[in-house]
Amino acid sequence: MNIRFWGVRGSIASPLTNAELTARIEELLQLGVKSGLTCESQIPSFIKGLPRHIRQIIGGDTSCVEVRAGNKLLILDAGTGIRLLGLDLVRMSMGNPINAHILLTHTHWDHISGLPFFVPAFNPNNKLTIYGASSGLKKRLEGQQAPEYFPVPLLSTFKIVQLNGQDQFQIGDLQIRTFRLNHPGDSYAYRITHGNKTIVYATDSEYKELSVKALKPFTDFFHNADILIYDAQFTLLENIEKEDWGHSNMFYGIDMALQANVKKLIFTHHEPAYDDKKLWEILHLANEYLDICRQPDTHLKIYLAFEGLNMTI
Amino acid sequence: MNITENVQGNVHQVYLEGRFDADTADKVEEFIRKKIKKKISHFVLDMENVSFIASAGLRVVIVLAKELRGEHKGDLYVAALQPSVYRVFEISGLNNVLSIFDDTETATQSFN
Repeated sequence: MNIRFWGVRGSIASPLTNAELTARIEELLQLGVKSGLTCESQIPSFIKGLPRHIRQIIGGDTSCVEVRAGNKLLILDAGTGIRLLGLDLVRMSMGNPINAHILLTHTHWDHISGLPFFVPAFNPNNKLTIYGASSGLKKRLEGQQAPEYFPVPLLSTFKIVQLNGQDQFQIGDLQIRTFRLNHPGDSYAYRITHGNKTIVYATDSEYKELSVKALKPFTDFFHNADILIYDAQFTLLENIEKEDWGHSNMFYGIDMALQANVKKLIFTHHEPAYDDKKLWEILHLANEYLDICRQPDTHLKIYLAFEGLNMTI
Repeated sequence: MNITENVQGNVHQVYLEGRFDADTADKVEEFIRKKIKKKISHFVLDMENVSFIASAGLRVVIVLAKELRGEHKGDLYVAALQPSVYRVFEISGLNNVLSIFDDTETATQSFN
């Protein structure tokens, strides 16, 4: 199984601002002066040694993850990140029909607003199926493209499959299960298994009861996942301040992943108000917390999702 | 998790012993909430004998402190943290909003 992130922001798309770019260039040049750069040939190694918040952009597009397993293409959520994925699919298909299965966690804007810009939908030869457990899914998606909001209606290329939130179904040889999360208006996690490999996508969920018993339904759903993609929008403190906003943080994610024996935990749905430097710092602190929690048999690794992050299991 | 208590004036000193995590945080929260129901609003949480705190413990501490400050005009102070436990308060950022003291006696006096 292979996953690639195309959108990692929560709530709203948040492109890099000019002020952030200027600050980044300033820091870059200061480091260049300090390191004594004198010729162009030194530049590649200099860049490699830069902190990640300078040499890399986490990305401002909202939720979208590409999953390849067997010969199937799954797309998790259709936030603004799906726009570039669509262009990539068209380019790579070289005119051949595209067959994609789009699994929606819910229909808040940051998870569906890329759909009208998903170019493969404009080719009727493509086979695109949207799945989701939000009630009245078709009506909701059509509503997003009502004439008052968008000039083109939801295209008939999309076939809509209404799920109920406790589903168990197959796409080819992929086994898929759904599970309801704690989010205003509900969100639904997906557990995708191919052979002996499992990915769980569980974004937009809040956890207010943290006892082992209260979390058991969730940790059971996450159990033994090779990859858990987890909503860590807030810091722990902001998570508590913003009670009932329906999101989580890295600390809870680590504890749940340890309880569920997850192998790789990827944090996504980043808060749009946090810049890249802050996000990498939070990950650094989360790694320190993981080290404090670590037992001899702990193999968990944690990652920050960024646009272009590619992982194979 | 073992919980004991000592009362000094209007301050309830709550002594914890063991791991403060998803298995035990409920017990601590329940213990303090029972006191809050009896109109007690000033607490010192002594963690000299807490060897480990997980996010479930952190959540209980911050939620109770927030509630006590807001609705009950009181507070929950934290005292006598082991270095590794203090570090978890630091890396979670909770040290910036909680009152943390070297020992329970100093914390108790601070209420007065």
